[in-house]
Amino acid sequence: MGGNNTILKIMNLSKHFGALKAVDEVSFEVKKGEIIGLIGPNGAGKTTLTNLATGAYSKTDGKVIFKDLDISNLKPYQIARMGLTRTFQVVKPLIGMTVEENVLVGSLYGRDKRNTDMKNASKRAKEIIKLVGLESKKDFLVSDITLPDLKKMEFARVLAMEPEVVFLDEVMAGLNPTEVTEASILVKKIRLEKDLTIVYIEHIMKAVMGISDRIVVLHHGRKIVEGTPQEVVNDPAVVEAYLGKRYAKGIKEANNEG
Amino acid sequence: MSNNKKVNIFLLIIAVVLFIFLPRFLSGYMVRVITTIFMYAVIAQGMNIMSGYMGYLPFGNAMFFGIGAYVTAIGMSKGLPFLVVVPLAAITAILFSILLGLPVLRLRGHYFAIATIGMSAAILSVVKNATEITGGAMGTTLPIIDKDPSIVYNYFYLAMFGLMVITTLSLYFIIKSRFGFGIRSIKANEEAAISMGINTTYHKVVAWAISALFTSIAGALYAYWMSFIAPDEVFDVMIAVNTVVIMLIGGAGSILGPIIGAFIIELFAEVAWSAFLEYHLAALGIIIIIIVFFVPKGVSGTIADFIKRKKIRARKRVSI
Ligand SMILES: Nc1ncnc2c1ncn2[C@@H]1O[C@H](COP(=O)(O)OP(=O)(O)O)[C@@H](O)[C@H]1O
Ligand SMILES: [Mg+2]
Repeated sequence: MGGNNTILKIMNLSKHFGALKAVDEVSFEVKKGEIIGLIGPNGAGKTTLTNLATGAYSKTDGKVIFKDLDISNLKPYQIARMGLTRTFQVVKPLIGMTVEENVLVGSLYGRDKRNTDMKNASKRAKEIIKLVGLESKKDFLVSDITLPDLKKMEFARVLAMEPEVVFLDEVMAGLNPTEVTEASILVKKIRLEKDLTIVYIEHIMKAVMGISDRIVVLHHGRKIVEGTPQEVVNDPAVVEAYLGKRYAKGIKEANNEG
Repeated sequence: MSNNKKVNIFLLIIAVVLFIFLPRFLSGYMVRVITTIFMYAVIAQGMNIMSGYMGYLPFGNAMFFGIGAYVTAIGMSKGLPFLVVVPLAAITAILFSILLGLPVLRLRGHYFAIATIGMSAAILSVVKNATEITGGAMGTTLPIIDKDPSIVYNYFYLAMFGLMVITTLSLYFIIKSRFGFGIRSIKANEEAAISMGINTTYHKVVAWAISALFTSIAGALYAYWMSFIAPDEVFDVMIAVNTVVIMLIGGAGSILGPIIGAFIIELFAEVAWSAFLEYHLAALGIIIIIIVFFVPKGVSGTIADFIKRKKIRARKRVSI
């Protein structure tokens, strides 16, 4: 573990809200170029972990190491400019602006300093919009587009910042099966094209299976399992977290009998 | 440059030339009324950058008007020429905006609007009590320009007009810039903005400093123009209330909105409010309610929407 190609290290990270341990001593590493699936039932602490990693929440304890630097006391805008960005589970479009303007803000304030120049940033924003397939909607106000398009727009906005690591917080939530398929094809395509490292957050296990290199499972704020999709899907602790104790026991007994 | 843009620039230049020669055709009284309109438009632009574009209502902004006026009065009473005093007034106001803004603008939301009212009240009470420097509650006088009053009023008409044009042009370029996108993002969604690499505190403080700059120069000109100022008048909360109404009716978050709003409100005041002077505040309140319900985007916003809808309809027709 570790080594030169580790880009992000979550180390004993905790966040308490009063008595609630929303994230409880979680550790894992992300290698450059990987897609890590971060799963767990609703309330497991996935969004809180995202907020900690990107600086939106201050931690209770632990560390976040990004490119060998402890970023756990930095502000969200500093972390974003270093190349660690996120999308939001509940979309947060810049209301009153067009799709293109939303993406433009991403490139103006992102990691690539050349894009602080309006001309460069504008060119970059147009390229990204094309890449995610939003060209026909670029002049629409964000209040006038559908949820799948909003999710694409947020993805484009984040890409325009030229990030190295992206947390995608339930980008598929609220999409129908066809849209989900389209979206995962898009994510795979772009990841290859842009050499991105992705932490892919989902509460539906099935959604991350085909796309992740490794999966981390959270439950009640704790990491319960980490492994390949195959290892995780067969792990009794994961089955239990998702389906409840009784169901898990049933499977175990059935296995024993068989 | 597109043809449309050329036409707009041409129309604006014509408007500027017309306004420069307008006083020749007006009574001295009307010249002063329109000078006041220009002044309110400048203060409204100071509110526009903060509230219209960034979503933070600087309710106590009259403090910068007062600071601008008082630094001018004090500086000129010490024998400094006006053109030296104006930058001093602006720098003082900017320093105040940074020192007061840093602690409150770190916070998100409505604390700011309320906090600025407190700041304004605090500065007012200091000015009132520092009698030796400020002349106290009774006010203070400035040197009078030794020329024919009508010439003097024309000077101030042109100066205030120039200030309005400069602030409006500056705001136009600011809004088109990277910084402009930054502050608009703060209004749109501050949480998203900070996650997108925008140093929100820095943007908020700088925007308020620009707001203070605009407002303080208006105050400086006002003091020299009136040649007498009193604390209760130049720190009056009603300046902010009036300005908010002007910004809302003209269109918050639009470049020409504050100018349009200033003309509507001040001319309306001239015509109608003299008729029911005692109900001045009631009338203002009713106007606010009417705006909120019927033209929430203000005059310029409503016109812009109308044009946009027409354009979209035209585009749809073409694509069919
Ligand atoms: N700002 C907050 N204040 C208090 N409790 C919170 C806050 N954010 C999240 N929580 C709680 O932390 C737990 C984990 O939430 P979250 O991270 O959103 O889970 P997930 O994204 O896995 O569904 C939940 O019990 C949630 O209610
Ligand atoms: Mg969540």
